[in-house]
Amino acid sequence: MTEEKKPEERKKRRTATEAASKIGPMVKAAIGGTVQAREEGKPLAYSFICCCYDEIIRAMDVIPVWTENYAGVCGAKRDAQRFLERAEAENFSRSLCTYALCGLGFDAWREELGEMPPEAPWGGQARPDMMLGSGQMLCDPRNKWYQAAQQYMPDVPVYDVGLPWPPYEDDYDYREVQDYYVKYIVAELKGLVQFLEKHTGRKMDWDHLSELVDLTDRTWNLIWETYELRRAVPSVMGTGDAMNTMVPMVFMMATQEAYDFYQELNDELKHKIANKEGEIPDEKYRLIWGGGLPSWFALSDFNYFNSKGAVFPVEVTYRMIEATYNFDMDLSKVTDPLEHIAWRWVKFWTYWYDRARKRPGSHPDVERLIKYIEDYKIDGIVMHEAFSCRSWHVGLIWQLNMLKKVYKDIPSLILESDIVDISSYNEADTKARIDAFIDTLEAVKSR
Amino acid sequence: MRKQYFAGVDIGSTMTKVVIMDQEVIASVIGATGPEHRKLANRVMEEALAKAGLPFDDITYVVATGYGRINVPFADKQITEISCHAKGVAYFLPEVRTVIDIGGQDSKGIKLKDGRAVDFVMNDKCAAGTGRFLEVTAEGLGVKLEDMGKLALTAKNAVGIANTCTVFATQEVVSKLAEGVALADVIAGLHEAIAARIYSMIGRLKIEREVALTGGGAKNIGLVKALEARLGYKVLVPPEPLLTGAIGAALMGRDIVKEAEEKGTPLVRAERRLTEATFFT
Amino acid sequence: MPEKAVVKGLAAAERLYQDYGVRARELKEQGQKILGYLCAFVPLEIVTAAGFMPFRIKGDVNEPITKADTEMETIVCPLVRSCFDMALKGNYDFLEGIVIPHACDSICRTYDVWKYTLNLPYAHFINMPHTTGDSSLDFYRDILNTFRTSLGRFAGKEISDQELARAVELHNRQRAKVRELYELRKASPPLISGEEVARVLIAAISIPVAESIELLGDVIEEVGQRGRAPAPKKARIMVIGAQVDSIAFIKLIEDSGAWVVADDLCPGAREFMSSVDLTADPIEGIAERYLRKVKCGRTYREMKGNYEEDLEDRFGHMRRMIDDFKVDGVVLYIYKYCDPFGFEVPQIKSYIEAKGTPVLYLEDEYSMSTIGRLRTRVQAFLEMLG
Repeated sequence: MTEEKKPEERKKRRTATEAASKIGPMVKAAIGGTVQAREEGKPLAYSFICCCYDEIIRAMDVIPVWTENYAGVCGAKRDAQRFLERAEAENFSRSLCTYALCGLGFDAWREELGEMPPEAPWGGQARPDMMLGSGQMLCDPRNKWYQAAQQYMPDVPVYDVGLPWPPYEDDYDYREVQDYYVKYIVAELKGLVQFLEKHTGRKMDWDHLSELVDLTDRTWNLIWETYELRRAVPSVMGTGDAMNTMVPMVFMMATQEAYDFYQELNDELKHKIANKEGEIPDEKYRLIWGGGLPSWFALSDFNYFNSKGAVFPVEVTYRMIEATYNFDMDLSKVTDPLEHIAWRWVKFWTYWYDRARKRPGSHPDVERLIKYIEDYKIDGIVMHEAFSCRSWHVGLIWQLNMLKKVYKDIPSLILESDIVDISSYNEADTKARIDAFIDTLEAVKSR
Repeated sequence: MRKQYFAGVDIGSTMTKVVIMDQEVIASVIGATGPEHRKLANRVMEEALAKAGLPFDDITYVVATGYGRINVPFADKQITEISCHAKGVAYFLPEVRTVIDIGGQDSKGIKLKDGRAVDFVMNDKCAAGTGRFLEVTAEGLGVKLEDMGKLALTAKNAVGIANTCTVFATQEVVSKLAEGVALADVIAGLHEAIAARIYSMIGRLKIEREVALTGGGAKNIGLVKALEARLGYKVLVPPEPLLTGAIGAALMGRDIVKEAEEKGTPLVRAERRLTEATFFT
Repeated sequence: MPEKAVVKGLAAAERLYQDYGVRARELKEQGQKILGYLCAFVPLEIVTAAGFMPFRIKGDVNEPITKADTEMETIVCPLVRSCFDMALKGNYDFLEGIVIPHACDSICRTYDVWKYTLNLPYAHFINMPHTTGDSSLDFYRDILNTFRTSLGRFAGKEISDQELARAVELHNRQRAKVRELYELRKASPPLISGEEVARVLIAAISIPVAESIELLGDVIEEVGQRGRAPAPKKARIMVIGAQVDSIAFIKLIEDSGAWVVADDLCPGAREFMSSVDLTADPIEGIAERYLRKVKCGRTYREMKGNYEEDLEDRFGHMRRMIDDFKVDGVVLYIYKYCDPFGFEVPQIKSYIEAKGTPVLYLEDEYSMSTIGRLRTRVQAFLEMLG
């Protein structure tokens, strides 16, 4: 997402790839599309990413309003404060997920006015016909946010899909329980289909759904292959770009447009690799963004890293796919679309478990870091602790401690801020920390 | 019948205020609080009594309020500053429904109904939104605290301050000055930042007019204007905005005595008297 | 046969509260295996049936959190951090293992930190679903059976249905005793103070369930013999929140001149008001109680009717308690960084206020370093109640 020019003349953020630079307009068009769809009376659903329902809602022509995305846009445009303040005035604690606070503040305001708040970024967040949450291990806001939003829209129904995955445990292997997890997820997805049928008056076209499930598999594989190209030295694309290129992955999955986007990106990266076009001219340090959502208002910090010779060829954040042909089962044999989705979900979340079993004292999250560090030739690891998000930003300290214990001592940096609330961000302090980290990397390199 | 006098002692985090009243204020003292509340309470009370020309025994009832209210041994009752500010403001401005009190180290919003507090919000753990914010940033800018408000009004283009943390905000404004932003614009930006924090806090109360401003913040013209800009209308400032808590406390004392007289119930008073306390200084 | 403690009732509760874990340490010396658990959502019946003593891990409001910060981020719920800090400082060295439920993000997302850092012989995560439909209940039964099998393996023998049924009855008896104790709070003035109830309940969750039944019985008898002298009227307060595992906050309210007569807390009414139904397959009744009967914000209750009916389903029990215990004012006491309760605050507040009862919403850090600030707010609230 590129930032708008502000009176202080903020520089437009540079992206390494053409593909990434196209994302801003795509998101703007999508958000504008939802506002128009509202006017045309098309069914709109507040939606979260990574909830298994992309194919299902697309198959029924339900238009998603991605509330996390809208909050991210407000954050990137540095226009989230007034919505956060409105949420606070409604008695929501400022320590809660700032995506949710932004969304709830916006909804409260919109419902009070009967129209969009003044100068709402990119046209505003359209009023939905239904809200689709989920109950899972990822995050509590996914099953509390929309429930809270109902006080401003009591007529809008909510459906929460249960989407757990087997935890990594020592007293049993996940394969002992995966069957009943899949059974549960399938039942929940069936319930979602029934809910959507009821509230749209349409019937699910199961053949079309199967097609979209297949498209999704192919898109996952294409994304994985494309991101694996970033192993190249010099790095052709960094996390700064990836925070743009994740948009089709999480907001446009199960559409041909998403697949085509990654094909374009794939072609572009291959071209760059062939011409040895690194993202920066003088690459000194290769880093992994090892955890945490970025500060949407400070994506230009990646350019700051670049200016010091640091690149991010790989990240854990928003890499919400694996190549399905790398799973330990032949997913193509699962022809029922809901079962297919459920198995894909379980296999994705348990992907690194077997690897962790092979290394004493290890853990799947750490194994993932190790593999990327080795494959992408990484010198150091950066993580971001966003104060309002306990989903992605808890366990980072421990992961780093564990990484050093079971693998090797590798320079690491934890940045502290937030995803959307800019009042937590201290630019001078952040740059100072980055500078110190670069010094550490240099010292390790020259040993 | 013997004339009744009531005393209100308001020990805030930075300033201590004492008033003595009968039907109206006959004496008042304002002094810096400092760390020794107990001794201080005695001293300012003695000062106020001297101003009023009254011995301590002539005071019918003493109510203590504020952050240090438990450190007033000669007080007959302690009542929170929320109830007392409400009472004090209602006394001067009965049309007020919302009070915003901006102190040295805390700020609060109070909702009034029929002259009494019915709801409140407080910020007493974060400097942003309190006098402290201006104190620290003024020092960082090399400007006298008492000049900050006036300077804010001369701004052409108030600058946006993103940081709410006082320390970070200070860094931010110093670097903005270095970039060449006008001092007045920076100071106006700081006032807007406090106004934003306060507005956000009191938003939880569902603000109703008339709105009154009390505390040290009420004497800062820049802050008054910034809040009015946020609210979209004028705010009222009672006469003696620093004394509303102490006046309210004295008035609460008067109510308690009146109720006891009407009901015929005995009045519960403090055992320790002012003169006793001085033995321990 | 262990020597019976000389003190009984409230005095016994005081001892267990002040030296939290003292009984567990005694039992460990005698060979009893103890499993620590967080939150009220661990199915204790299964633990008891397997022959372990379930021990509630709690924090300490007076102890600054220090060691925990080396492993656990400060954006985690302060209660969870304090519990972890206590564990790291050796307060719970007698534990054989930990059982942690999927209560909330702060607990779920730190499970690995607990497991790897404490490195106990046994650790298990109970992946309780968030939703309450039939498929969720089926899933939860499977989850509980996995736990049952795993715990049986650790114990060295399978847990039988009879053992489970016995444990269910035992834990139900404890809950009934707590409900009996709560009846004593309905009187005006209440026969037992909120501070005393909090102390007794916190003591009760640190000892074997059978002993807790005896403790509760002794307290009920002791309190029941108290005289019912009339007292000057004080405001009757209900406290709503997550886990409040210290008497400090309740005491603060009562010291400010009120009675705390009711609550929706853990340990408290939320934890003890509902029992497990005796079902042929005991796991069924257990699953039903923990997933559907216990009303907590971490569980998303499917809407069955319209929005108003949904609010009744979620919060109706609070209104009933306000009526039954003649509550004058409600204090909503929520920790910072608490997602399940944080999102519900506006709805709980407006629901209760709409029924005519004033609500004070306090956001706190858990530690008692904020006690001065809390005191002012509580006092102001009581002054407003009249």
